Amino acid sequence: MGRYILRRLVQGVITVWFIATATFFAMHNVPGDPLQSDKAVSAEIRANLEARYGLDKPLMEQYFIYLANMAQGDFGISFTQQNREVNDIIAEHFRISAALGILAIAFAALGGILWGALTALYRNRLPDIVIMLLVILGISVPGFVFAGLGQLGVVNLNAALGFTLFPVGGWGTVSHMIVPALVLGLGTMAFLTRLMRSSMLEIANADFLRTARAKGLPANRIFRKHQLRNAILPVVTVLGPSIAAITTGGFVVELVFAIPGLGRYFVQAVQQSDYTVIMGTTVFYGAFLVFMVIVVDIIYGFVDPRVRLE
Amino acid sequence: MALLEVSDLHVEFDTYGGTVHAVRGVDFRLDEGQTLAIVGESGCGKSVTVQSFTGLIPMPPGRIVRGGATLRGHDILGGGRIDGKEVRGREIGMIFQDPMTSLNPTMTIGDQIAEPLQVHAGMKRRTAHARAVELLEMTRIPEPAKRAEQYPFEFSGGMLQRAMIAMALSCEPSVLIADEPTTALDVTIQAQILDLMVDLQRENGMAIALITHDLGVVARMADEVLVMYAGQVVERGSVDDVFYRSAHPYTLGLKAAMPTNQSEGEQDLQPIDGSPPDLFAPPEGCGYAARCPFAMEACQGQPPPVYGIRAAAADAYDHESRCWLHHEDCDIAAEGVHKGE
Ligand SMILES: Nc1ncnc2c1ncn2[C@@H]1O[C@H](COP(=O)(O)OP(=O)(O)O)[C@@H](O)[C@H]1O
Ligand code: SF4
Ligand SMILES: [Mg+2]
Repeated sequence: MGRYILRRLVQGVITVWFIATATFFAMHNVPGDPLQSDKAVSAEIRANLEARYGLDKPLMEQYFIYLANMAQGDFGISFTQQNREVNDIIAEHFRISAALGILAIAFAALGGILWGALTALYRNRLPDIVIMLLVILGISVPGFVFAGLGQLGVVNLNAALGFTLFPVGGWGTVSHMIVPALVLGLGTMAFLTRLMRSSMLEIANADFLRTARAKGLPANRIFRKHQLRNAILPVVTVLGPSIAAITTGGFVVELVFAIPGLGRYFVQAVQQSDYTVIMGTTVFYGAFLVFMVIVVDIIYGFVDPRVRLE
Repeated sequence: MALLEVSDLHVEFDTYGGTVHAVRGVDFRLDEGQTLAIVGESGCGKSVTVQSFTGLIPMPPGRIVRGGATLRGHDILGGGRIDGKEVRGREIGMIFQDPMTSLNPTMTIGDQIAEPLQVHAGMKRRTAHARAVELLEMTRIPEPAKRAEQYPFEFSGGMLQRAMIAMALSCEPSVLIADEPTTALDVTIQAQILDLMVDLQRENGMAIALITHDLGVVARMADEVLVMYAGQVVERGSVDDVFYRSAHPYTLGLKAAMPTNQSEGEQDLQPIDGSPPDLFAPPEGCGYAARCPFAMEACQGQPPPVYGIRAAAADAYDHESRCWLHHEDCDIAAEGVHKGE
């Protein structure tokens, strides 16, 4: 297991380096730069700024400076916000995105497992048919539509109640978090429900479940110890990609619900061509996702002995 | 009183294509310490027979239309309970064809063997675990304590089948049902598993219902034999009666198709021509008529009754055959068919 984790970490570092390199060169091939803003700057000031940000050096040199800084965990200073370190921006705003994301993924995973198991138990009966219809909606409707609908729903709910149960936007309390997290997790939950359902049904016909019945075990023990445990495995495998989906989905949800998370900040940075923030955030997100996939793989090792002991 | 008695068992499956009449009136009894072999080609209803009265077939689509099953006189049809206590796992142990898929991949072998002991014998986890190690040792698995901590994927097929046997026998059942226990294993491993079953039976006196399509296994293991065809028992009797005084043309067909190791390729194998009848609409007459070399006009229209075959000397088991050739008015000389003394 230790070797396995080490190998995954080394792979992870290489992946992050690759992301960093791709981001760097992509950014340098995008037209437009932050110094070319509306208030035309004089050539002199412009030269100063370029020198300060190192933009006057040859590309390869810039790349190595960038890599060296990044290896030390320094993503530079924002182009548009004077004296703000990219690190500080990430530290301040990612906490919010992470809280939203964790809530959303917990909601998606628990909901997916629960609904999936339920639909399998009620296969082809009313609960199954209704839930699977909703699942098709959840998978096919894009996230921003849910975000809009969620907000509309909150407005109507508050109006009907006569007081603010859930704020329409912003951040700070638990009641701010619930609706955005639900909206953010919805698509993933639908996907996981479908996966869990088919996994449950497949395992229902497994020989080892027949063995469990032949042993005369009580039905609930068979369900918990033999069926559920094995049916969850495929759900755990796709948690990595699910976290990625929820992370990127967070950009939209943060914008719609005016949540000061890193996702919203990232979108703003793109609009303002804030190079260092864009690069820093991209690499950070990449590293984060790579790390999460490794974490999920390790969790998988704990649920599936075939992986752990390999 | 018989230990296990199954009578007039009828099982159907509802499918999109119609109703499959998988088992059509099977009777048998099993006494203590006895080994009953159930033989027949694939699809003739052997598994459904044992899995229906033990409650292992999915219902729906499966349905027990008629019949009974008793263990020491208590009704157990559909895997029931005796005096409020579960029958499966404690009174009847079962092992299956494919040991590689018959164990839970995410649970240690020891935990899986300990489970019935915890559930039926009320043992604490530790005691049950210690007993599981003893059971593994009993099935001659080397290093049982270490093996108990391992998972199924770390075992070979033969070792897994031993573990299955340990699990099935954990609560010292009076009946072991073995559904093709060696079909998925290598020949040498097959022999070891069969030897193990015989030894364990000698030690603890359980009865064995052994399903197989291999007549070699039958000759080696069985006291009594049921030959099944198209959901019915077509011949039954002691192993000697069925082998040496075969009374049903289907049994002769099976014997001709059996590879024997004593002849070096001299004796040619003769697989039975054709295939078993469609169980969606079983034939009106004899199920074997379409493939039987002795089929007569009567065979097509009328289902043959069961005839007792008279024996020269008294035998522990009745010898019976479901074939028109045994009718008193039938004077066809069917070569190889034993018609009684
Ligand atoms: N779940 C099921 N659904 C429909 N048909 C089934 C089912 N299980 C068994 N059957 C049918 O019952 C018949 C007997 O099967 P089985 O008892 O498994 O044969 P075997 O003698 O090889 O063990 C077969 O024709 C099979 O197709
Ligand atoms: S009843 Fe007729 S068809 Fe059937 S086995 Fe006997 S001889 Fe053959
Ligand atoms: Mg079978």
